[in-house]
Amino acid sequence: MTVTFHHQAEVAVNRHNVVRRRDFLRTIACTGVAAGATGWSDMLTLQAAELRKQGKACILLWLAGAPSQFETFDPKPGHANGGETKAIATSVSGIQIAHTLPHTANVMDKVCLIRSMNSREGAHARASYLMHTGYLPTASVKYPTLGSNVAHQVADPDFDLPSFVRVGGIRGGADGGLLGVGFNPFVLNDPSRPPENTAITTTSDRYQRRLGLLGRLDHEYATNGPQQEVKNQGELYEKAAKMVLSPRMDAFDIQEESEATRQAYGESQFASGCLLARRLVESGVTFVEVNSTGWDTHADNAERTTELCASIDQPYAALLRDLEERGMLQNTMVVLMGEFGRTPKINARNGRDHYPRAFSAALAGGGVRGGQVIGQTSPDGASITDRPVGVTDMLRTICHGLGVNADHENMSSIGRPIKIVDGGDVVTEAFA
Amino acid sequence: MSSLLQRDRRLSRVACTLLMLVASAAVAEDSALKTATEVDRLLAARVAPPPAPSAGRVDDPTFLRRTFLDLVGELPTADDVLAFSLDDSPEKRNKLVETLLADSAFGENWGRYWRDVILYRRTEERALISRVALTDFLAKQFNDNASWAEIATSFMTATGNIRENGATALIMAQSGMPEDVTAEVSRIFLGIQIQCAQCHDHPTDRWKREQFHQLAAFFPRIAIRPDRNAEQPTFHVVVNDQPFRFQRRNNNNNRYRGTLEHRMPDLADPSAEGQLMQPVFFVTGSTLPSGTRDADRRNTLAEWITAPDNPWFAKAYVNRIWSELVGEGFYEPIDDLGPDRECSAPETLDYLAQRFADSGYDTKWLFRTIMATDAYQLESRSRRDYDEVPFRANCPQRLRGDQLFDALLSALDLESRTPQRSRGAMGYRRGGDPRSTFNLAFGYDPSDPRVEIGGSIQQALVMMNAPFINQGISARRPDGLGALLQANPQDEEALVELYLKVLARGPSPTEKQTCLDYIRQVGERHEAFEDITWSLINSTEFIHRN
Repeated sequence: MTVTFHHQAEVAVNRHNVVRRRDFLRTIACTGVAAGATGWSDMLTLQAAELRKQGKACILLWLAGAPSQFETFDPKPGHANGGETKAIATSVSGIQIAHTLPHTANVMDKVCLIRSMNSREGAHARASYLMHTGYLPTASVKYPTLGSNVAHQVADPDFDLPSFVRVGGIRGGADGGLLGVGFNPFVLNDPSRPPENTAITTTSDRYQRRLGLLGRLDHEYATNGPQQEVKNQGELYEKAAKMVLSPRMDAFDIQEESEATRQAYGESQFASGCLLARRLVESGVTFVEVNSTGWDTHADNAERTTELCASIDQPYAALLRDLEERGMLQNTMVVLMGEFGRTPKINARNGRDHYPRAFSAALAGGGVRGGQVIGQTSPDGASITDRPVGVTDMLRTICHGLGVNADHENMSSIGRPIKIVDGGDVVTEAFA
Repeated sequence: MSSLLQRDRRLSRVACTLLMLVASAAVAEDSALKTATEVDRLLAARVAPPPAPSAGRVDDPTFLRRTFLDLVGELPTADDVLAFSLDDSPEKRNKLVETLLADSAFGENWGRYWRDVILYRRTEERALISRVALTDFLAKQFNDNASWAEIATSFMTATGNIRENGATALIMAQSGMPEDVTAEVSRIFLGIQIQCAQCHDHPTDRWKREQFHQLAAFFPRIAIRPDRNAEQPTFHVVVNDQPFRFQRRNNNNNRYRGTLEHRMPDLADPSAEGQLMQPVFFVTGSTLPSGTRDADRRNTLAEWITAPDNPWFAKAYVNRIWSELVGEGFYEPIDDLGPDRECSAPETLDYLAQRFADSGYDTKWLFRTIMATDAYQLESRSRRDYDEVPFRANCPQRLRGDQLFDALLSALDLESRTPQRSRGAMGYRRGGDPRSTFNLAFGYDPSDPRVEIGGSIQQALVMMNAPFINQGISARRPDGLGALLQANPQDEEALVELYLKVLARGPSPTEKQTCLDYIRQVGERHEAFEDITWSLINSTEFIHRN
């Protein structure tokens, strides 16, 4: 049996746990995989190889700033806390959402709404970090963000595009952390243009010629000592060059889409991000995060949230339809959420403030059963009255949908085992 | 090399100081050199017979580049290389170290280093506001040769505006949360990761959960308060010594006000008040009474931490600086020391740490000493395997973001403003000035084990394809490569100059042959030299300090 090691998955374990990275690799090489050296981390490698074949992927649509649940998925038209926002019917009888999301209402049969999200963190960066990693930030452990964990567990290491792409940077989104820079997101600021520094500045011939010269000079340099550094650098440049010269780079170019498709997604930056996400997943990228900003509506909440909803509503619905039509929805989980919710009481500036105690999120695809609502809030929206879903429950549910073992342990640099998700339970009814 | 001598040039940094030093005859301090000799003896005594031969003594150009990058974070110029190689004084390496220690770039380089140590572990993003004040504060301290005890004390006892007092950055980086500040103080100044005991007694450590919270009891009265009235939004590290009626913790979980005493949470009942903790310093067991004012708490703790009877303070600093200079710490990771950790050469570290404490925690003395050791002056080899003998070679270190940025500027004759024009193309939103923008892509946490710091695809893409770099290597520029080619009509001379400028050494005979063959094969001089320049700045050697 042969095992391909994700070279970035070589977790360094310090002396507290006996093996170090190279020793670990050597141990495996010597003893073979079937032998007993497989206690903690290589079983997952085997598992990941299988998962890749299943082609699981995830698109995280992140609403940075914390969207108001009252103006999106949990309207309260009968109560003073609900403000002017109306509830509208959806494609699923019995489920109503805010009038700000008419397109989404039409695809409700694909969506599993969770109205009982809750956490204890109400500061943007910390809460955002918590929702992305499952942990509050600490100085001692750099927790990997969800996309890094999923890429680490699921992605094919030989894939020539980055496995984790983030469209638009955000505060508190975290990165590869203890998994290493190899699992950091590849960040794009503008989804409507190809990524920066991927256009070669010379002819392809001359580019190859340069790479050849670089290889020769580095090879000569390696004979004088630092062989490992030269080897690492060579692999990195090979990967980068492979990416730049890959025919799959077209996946980054949404201009290749038909006019009809582009119109179906709409015109906002977020729409471009959603369309790009679909193209990337289709080309084999494992995890795409698309960020929408501006949801921190301390003033004029209803008005501003309505505008923001208009920028995400059509693309979100189009994305789900598009994935379904292409037969990709079953294997692609689409998560729509922000870092917390907003206060039931409307403040003096017609805004809503931070409220982590009860808010909403939406899941679709990846085996999730659409057309259902999980959890409930009280008529005033202030508390959860049914089936609370915490942050770790949510992350565990996403892992479940992607076939990722949430109990898998990675090692921090001082040898502390860190689970992908510590605690929490899968929201099993989401998949029922 | 004769063409080098004929050029019209300014006097280099090395040339100037060599002249100065010949006059003053000031050589590296005796105590540093004696200590260095003893360090080498202790290291050699540790392993006999040596199972693998040590690397040889590093040659002059490599020593020069290594020392420049280590002390001032910059590449030596071609003139520096020349002046150094022409100096035949046996003391020239020590003199070089003295020269660079006296250069203000020394403080700046190490100021940036410690800025990264503190800010890469921030849990509060807005601590970046203090970045400039922090770097300036540190640079001044290092250039004034403030003792490490003095610097550490400033961080532990700081109050005030984070834009004005850089020493507040450590507390700001952890939002003034007592537990997080405690963990960082212990990690950075003692090299002890006592926060592992925050939630439970650690199975392999002797520190108990109670001891962590007793240490946190030195910091309950501090907090971070936003200042929205200031011209630029800022924060203050504030102190609260007065009892107050309401615990002001809002929905956002921000902590704007300190509490009088620290309480250890009840694990069984997190909503309970928790157990009152008295301030106790776990290393010595020294105790302060509950009710002590904040200033006394933090000043006393700083005194205890920096006192000579606490060996961990000196060891943590020596281990870190040794690791940066020699390439590997006595303890790894470099901020995880303690009685339950394995040290690869305990006698050597004990001796060096003791001498460092004796020197009054003189930071320049430590650099002088380590850089005079044979261990520092060995050639570099790739990081050893775990079961190989340590300190048989120096070890290549990946350049930090700031070092690489400066290296690019000098190798390509770029003004620091040039990358700003192509900032959009660099692809990073935060940052602001070109250096910070560059650091977002190339910086790393200096406390992380170096074996885990690899390059990223995005970094490789910048180096290969970024417009500012490709404009920088253009032979059509009036300066940079264009000027170099014009001044050196012979390819071989031009090649030597280019190597000196980019790699601070001349090409080896094989390299020369490879490049001359390449030039012939390409057939167009400008194009060939652009390609060579591109290859040199993308080389493994360029992004490492060897």
